[in-house]
Amino acid sequence: MEVGRLAWRTPTGAMLWEIWGRHKWIFPCHGLALAASACLVCWKEHGAPENAVGFVYLISSGCFFGSFIPLLACLGYIEVDAGRVQLGFPGRLLLKPVSTTRLVLVPMLFGGTIIVAVFALWTQLVVRPLIAIPASNLLRLGTVLLSFFWWMQALAWSLPSLKGRVVIDLLMAATHFLLGALPMLPMNALSSWQWPILIALLLAVVPTAWVGLKLVRQGRWEGPSSIARFWSHRRSPLAWSPRRRFHSAFGAQFWLEWRRQGWRLPGISGGLALLVVPIALIATTKLGALNPPPLGVILSILVLMPLLFSGVIGHALGKFDPLDTTRELPVYIAVRPMTDSGFVMAKLVMALVASVLTWLLTLAGACLCLAIMGAETLFSKAASVTPYGPVALAIGCVPLFLLLVILTWKNMVAGIGAVLTGRQWIVTVFLCKSAVFYTGLLLLGEFAIIDQDLRKALLYWLPGLLIVLLAAKIVFSICAFAWGLRRNAITACAVGWTVGGWFVCGLFVAGYGGLVCHAMNKPELWIWVALAGFLVLPLAELAIAPLALAWNRHR
Amino acid sequence: MENRLKFELNKDLVPARDLPEYRLRRGGHLNAGFKEVAIAVSGVSRHFGAKAALDDVSVFVPRGSVLGLVGENGAGKTTLIKHLLGSLKAQSGTVRVFDRDPVLDPVGVLGRVGYLSERRDLPGWMRVGEFMRYTQAFYPAWDEQYAGQLLEQFQLDPAQKIKTLSKGEQAKIGLLTALAYRPDLLFLDEPSSGLDPVVRRDILEAIIRVVAEEGRTVLFSSHLLDEVERVANQVVMLQRGRVVLNGSTEEVRRGHISAVLAFAEPPSKAPVVAGAYAVAGYGSEWRVLFGGSHLELETAAALIGARVVEERTPTLDEILVARAGRKGS
Repeated sequence: MEVGRLAWRTPTGAMLWEIWGRHKWIFPCHGLALAASACLVCWKEHGAPENAVGFVYLISSGCFFGSFIPLLACLGYIEVDAGRVQLGFPGRLLLKPVSTTRLVLVPMLFGGTIIVAVFALWTQLVVRPLIAIPASNLLRLGTVLLSFFWWMQALAWSLPSLKGRVVIDLLMAATHFLLGALPMLPMNALSSWQWPILIALLLAVVPTAWVGLKLVRQGRWEGPSSIARFWSHRRSPLAWSPRRRFHSAFGAQFWLEWRRQGWRLPGISGGLALLVVPIALIATTKLGALNPPPLGVILSILVLMPLLFSGVIGHALGKFDPLDTTRELPVYIAVRPMTDSGFVMAKLVMALVASVLTWLLTLAGACLCLAIMGAETLFSKAASVTPYGPVALAIGCVPLFLLLVILTWKNMVAGIGAVLTGRQWIVTVFLCKSAVFYTGLLLLGEFAIIDQDLRKALLYWLPGLLIVLLAAKIVFSICAFAWGLRRNAITACAVGWTVGGWFVCGLFVAGYGGLVCHAMNKPELWIWVALAGFLVLPLAELAIAPLALAWNRHR
Repeated sequence: MENRLKFELNKDLVPARDLPEYRLRRGGHLNAGFKEVAIAVSGVSRHFGAKAALDDVSVFVPRGSVLGLVGENGAGKTTLIKHLLGSLKAQSGTVRVFDRDPVLDPVGVLGRVGYLSERRDLPGWMRVGEFMRYTQAFYPAWDEQYAGQLLEQFQLDPAQKIKTLSKGEQAKIGLLTALAYRPDLLFLDEPSSGLDPVVRRDILEAIIRVVAEEGRTVLFSSHLLDEVERVANQVVMLQRGRVVLNGSTEEVRRGHISAVLAFAEPPSKAPVVAGAYAVAGYGSEWRVLFGGSHLELETAAALIGARVVEERTPTLDEILVARAGRKGS
């Protein structure tokens, strides 16, 4: 497709070409995901073994979410302005002699059409053959998706520099989530409102986007906000004394990391936990339909959310500015007199604090849910779990809490080495490797369930394989540490902390695994759990992280 | 005793072509005739793909010098500064700042260096005061009183977010945080690029004060050669990654002559004057920018049947434009 062709020599053509030109790989990748899922569905319908159904569901849903989210992002027509720390409409187009109506309608209609068409394809080819879902529900889900897509566009374009816009975004996302999931939630009394609310949202979105973009074009958001102006008028601009100083360079770097990224996981997980609490509250009132309330489901959601989000948020952990698209180290950080391992340690400690805070918030949310939905039922069951009563159960949960913190932290730091290199191709290779590895692992697991011989072979070879992998990991880490020490990328102190931390956490996982295996009357599994624990906990990633940063810092 | 790099000098700045004539020595003590070298770049080359950003560059800067780095866009000025900061690794040759390798010992080098980036790459989400506090944490020598003075001088509001500052104000906060810990060596990459004359003056005055009052080593790159002439006592001119001029500002200017040549018969096309970097004019009088002495100019003019009717010392600006215009010089 050439820009020079007549059809593309119009403002609309140029705007559409830009979507294609910048994201042309997303469309074939999405097509591949859809084709793969459709093939799996065909296989399921024509002779797949009964126990392979779970596998088909798993892979299809992975393909759907994995390919739909990038599609939404590329069709959104939202650009990052790292300098002004904001997301918004591409600034260069605002000064072109094009009407605001066209600027608003072209991306909304084009993106909306593609989204709805692709969703319809997915539902026809994959979803309906797998799940017996009524057509009316699919229509509602498609409308919710369209409304969500348009509102995300409208908010990003209209409120580029509004402080706290993320709260409005999250509220809007939560509203759409509730509208989409209403029939599955214990809120029957609210179900009759979903269509009127949806129609109101759809009617309001285009005028909102138009007015918002018009104001942006008029420069209404330029300069400090009226609130900021009010405060700056109330005091002399030069009457300033430095607040408490940072005690060390590490403290300053930790503060920077926390301000940029640290709050994200606790914020999102805590926010969603708070969203679950009102649902729990409604479920227990006469508006709700479930009695007894689904405690198990709600608690599972609360526990799974931080683990899922930690991987997604952790992907950006290696960046120093999440909005930066270049991946290079910002100059104002690169020129600071700090070792590479110092920068990495600040990130690791930030991730640890974020994990702890996330689980404290989740715990608080879970306790609130229990208090609302009948804690006495759960606590009365505690006696059957342990003969020592609820207090013993609570104390016994402390190691579980620590294990969840460790797992969340591990998820967050898993890709830190790749991102710290500042090379997009390495990040892409890492993501592909992870996708292949985890898909392979899933496939292996699923085939092991189907094929008994494979299962026997795996069980025979697994301990040996784990030992070899662990040995390889230790050797690789030693080499990386030695190289890092030789290049001054890491200090001996940092090596000590990293290795010590890995060993202590590994012992903890092994010990906890031992207790669980003993409780399950399968003590022979303990050695596997211990080996897997040491293998899963990051050591090599942390050993190469300072070297990766040095490679980025000294190009 | 610290292992400092000493360099025997009979000039303040050593021309790259004379490098082998000087003995580069390590260790020992400062003696008469020796001056400590703040920057020692020797035979550094750097390629980005097929393009040579730096080609066998050698520059030595003694402590206390103010070096102006000049050249066209893409000449390699920023690339050279990035090598000195350790942001880029030399593909060949060596870079030493205070006798330390900035790649292998970034903490040792960066702790003594202040840097104002051309890109004004500042964290837009921070407030001015927060950025000062953040920067302060890395430098034990941070002078709070001096920082406060600069804050007042630059009329910056510590409560304001950096992303809402104007370009000039961003340059000022960048300079403030580069100066407040009184670094031994200051790198200023296009400090006044894109700024209005008032902000340019403020920044230049701050730099001049650093140089005059504290005698620190400063390396600054600029397109505005009147600034270089005003502040720098040494100048290095880069052209397509190569050092084409290297010496004191006065030496460089006096090594060139801007002259008017008169011809008895107007030449039909621009005359070719041996040693001239630029020839422009019409009819019987042509202005040339000549690299050499008065005697050499007289000889070159005589060879083409012309005589020198007017001559003066050119400005650095004229020299840069003339030399940049002569491709491959």
